[in-house]
Amino acid sequence: MAGSSSILMNSKNKFYFAISGVIVVVIFWIWWASSNPADEQALVTFLSVEELIDDDHSDRVRLGGLVAEGSIELDNNNYMSCQFELQEGDYVLPVHYTGARPDLFKDGAEVIIEGMYVNGLFEADILQTKCASRYEGDLRDADSYNLDEVSI
Amino acid sequence: MIPVIGGLAINLALGLAFVSIILHFFYLRNGDGRLFLSGQRAALTVSLLSILATLILTQLLVTSNFDVDYVAHYTSLETPFIYKITALWAGQSGSLLFWLFTLSVYALITIFQNQQSQHKIMPWVMIVMTTVQLFFLILINFVANPFMPTEADFVVANGLGLNPLLQNATMAIHPPMLYLGYVGFTVPFAFSIAAMAQRDMNALWMRTVRQWLLFVWLMLSIGIILGGWWAYQELGWGGYWAWDPVENASFMPWLTGTALLHSIIIQEKKNMLKVWNMALIIITFTLCIFGTFLTRSGVMSSVHSFTASSLGPIFLSFVFLIMIVSFTLLYYRKTFLRSEKRIESFTSRESGFLFNNVVFIVMCFAVFWGTIFPVISEAVRGTKITVGAPFFNQVNIPIGLILLLLTGVGPLLVWRRTSNQSFIRNFTTPIVMGLITALVFYVLKIRGYVLVSFSLSAFVLTTIGFEFFRGIRSRMTTQKENPFIAFWRLIRKNRSRYGGYIVHVGIVLMFIGFTGHSFDSEKEFGLKKGDSEHLSGYSFTLYNIREEERPNHYAYIADMVVADASSGKSIVKLHPEKRIYFHRNPNPDRRQPHSELDIYSTMKQDIYSIFNSIDLENEVAYLKIMINPLVNWVWYGSYLFVLGTLVALWPPRKEKS
Repeated sequence: MAGSSSILMNSKNKFYFAISGVIVVVIFWIWWASSNPADEQALVTFLSVEELIDDDHSDRVRLGGLVAEGSIELDNNNYMSCQFELQEGDYVLPVHYTGARPDLFKDGAEVIIEGMYVNGLFEADILQTKCASRYEGDLRDADSYNLDEVSI
Repeated sequence: MIPVIGGLAINLALGLAFVSIILHFFYLRNGDGRLFLSGQRAALTVSLLSILATLILTQLLVTSNFDVDYVAHYTSLETPFIYKITALWAGQSGSLLFWLFTLSVYALITIFQNQQSQHKIMPWVMIVMTTVQLFFLILINFVANPFMPTEADFVVANGLGLNPLLQNATMAIHPPMLYLGYVGFTVPFAFSIAAMAQRDMNALWMRTVRQWLLFVWLMLSIGIILGGWWAYQELGWGGYWAWDPVENASFMPWLTGTALLHSIIIQEKKNMLKVWNMALIIITFTLCIFGTFLTRSGVMSSVHSFTASSLGPIFLSFVFLIMIVSFTLLYYRKTFLRSEKRIESFTSRESGFLFNNVVFIVMCFAVFWGTIFPVISEAVRGTKITVGAPFFNQVNIPIGLILLLLTGVGPLLVWRRTSNQSFIRNFTTPIVMGLITALVFYVLKIRGYVLVSFSLSAFVLTTIGFEFFRGIRSRMTTQKENPFIAFWRLIRKNRSRYGGYIVHVGIVLMFIGFTGHSFDSEKEFGLKKGDSEHLSGYSFTLYNIREEERPNHYAYIADMVVADASSGKSIVKLHPEKRIYFHRNPNPDRRQPHSELDIYSTMKQDIYSIFNSIDLENEVAYLKIMINPLVNWVWYGSYLFVLGTLVALWPPRKEKS
């Protein structure tokens, strides 16, 4: 043992003390970052279309669902802008999106969107498609679509 | 007929795995050598049968036998030959079989390498490895059988085909590399459990484990890097790392494995930290299984988006089983593993390693936390919170910078205690270099993390440069060698140390590349033939839109010229493509568009072009341009990284004495 007189100054304890200090600081840091996200996209609530319509959320949220058949309409003035309907179970939500459309974006595609719900129209700035499900099993229809499978 | 043989092979392997484990246990009880021999033969046969099953599936894929559901799902007649083979790991059941295949190859190598030399602990090594095989055999036999016949009441004329995203050379080797790493951690894990169970941990054990660790760690690293490279070249969002759950799944065992590679040096040199190292091996292996669970269970869906399946609970149970059994064993062996030595000083190399370990573990925890946070938030608060890349960056950038700092500090510390004089001698110049860099960037009005990152990079590179310089100089004086010979022999005489330094240089270059990310810029626009757009001092002019039909797709090609906006001098021509795969399929839903990027890459920056979509009526091409500074540094850094690891891994020449 180190020949120190005080137990507290014993080198082994000092060492554990330092390491525990590091761990405490970092856990605090992770906790702090979880409650003070740097960016609005850092932590986003994932909702179902039903929850969004019923609870009238005004903050940034993320949704999942299917693109309703025949609902995609490209903007006449701006080719990069489009409108479509997101379908999840019995609920349908009109969505407006401007930006590059992913390759797999088409009728019936499974999509995840992120944005804000304003006056009955969902203004999305992120549009992601799920990998084509035809590569794993058969395409599912809107009724059997399950939110839990796309979530996160 | 052939699919039936495949099915039988995995059935038989399952049974024999059981038998092998039981025989080994009986041998451990009564010491009858015949039991051991039979057990080993059974284990050998399990591996051979698993390899046979994989070869059979490969053969079915190559010959397009659509009677097998897996073949019909992941390949079609048009799928190029090489991708028919890679379809082996494109889907759920195939990749589980591939996991088993890799493990079986490792098991064979382990048996042949160590049968004699590690005779005492081999029964336990085989029990652990066969148990892991058994787990995957259960999955393949009962949950996801790759030899299932196609469920259709008609003859399948053609398969669905392989996802075009996966039809890429990098994607062909990224999963196998990752698997070689993931699966490979089974071997050091098995050796650790065996050493604890038998209370036998000798120098040979140490060498075996260290070599294995380094090798599988290299494979995992290459797998991760290739994954990033593939994402950058193929996915078209301009980045190489998205903190996607599946990426995190591979990054977590990498972090703990890296920690382990460092702390095991202390065990080798000082016979310390044995309990800690055992715990790290257990955690790393558990994270490998957990990673396979994350990718394969569908708990987290992501760009890798694999289906939800019944695998989840089985995998989680296995993860818990491993943890409980291993940590219980560790608890009962803590006196055996205890070391008499203690860390003497904060400024010792031992303590440097230990802090490095703590930081790696903490980073792993941060990644773990972010990855499972959505699940936790839903369970606790009832709302699902998705965690995006900004969160991971916010949390991990400072931790990563601390690691970068330690990369420079650690190697200069002396074992036991660093004296003040040597501290001053070793650190003055590097600190000055770091400060000068900081000053330059401050004057250039580049501040924040970017300044810290570049300054630390300068600091670390100087410390490593000095290490090489001192080593070479001392050889030049004592051995009278010229600088080049001295450099060469310096590395050759101490491969693991200087290999490690080369890895560190690679890491620093990668950090410089990561830092470049903060200068990214991008723009989306539509162009008609002859029109131009500007971004970051460059002009982009579309001079042609072409169409071309190729064997497995139809392509629209945007021909663009990139020029310096002020001088008008042409720099490069870019040709991003919009492809339609399965374009001859009568059902339009089956046709699949895919954007093929074109990237002009220099050390300074990448000009990254994406052909988003085409308005055929008005003949407008919609393009996205990104200017990504310093991305190439990441790739060059990773070359050095791999080179350094190979140097450390290269078997030393047999010394005369």
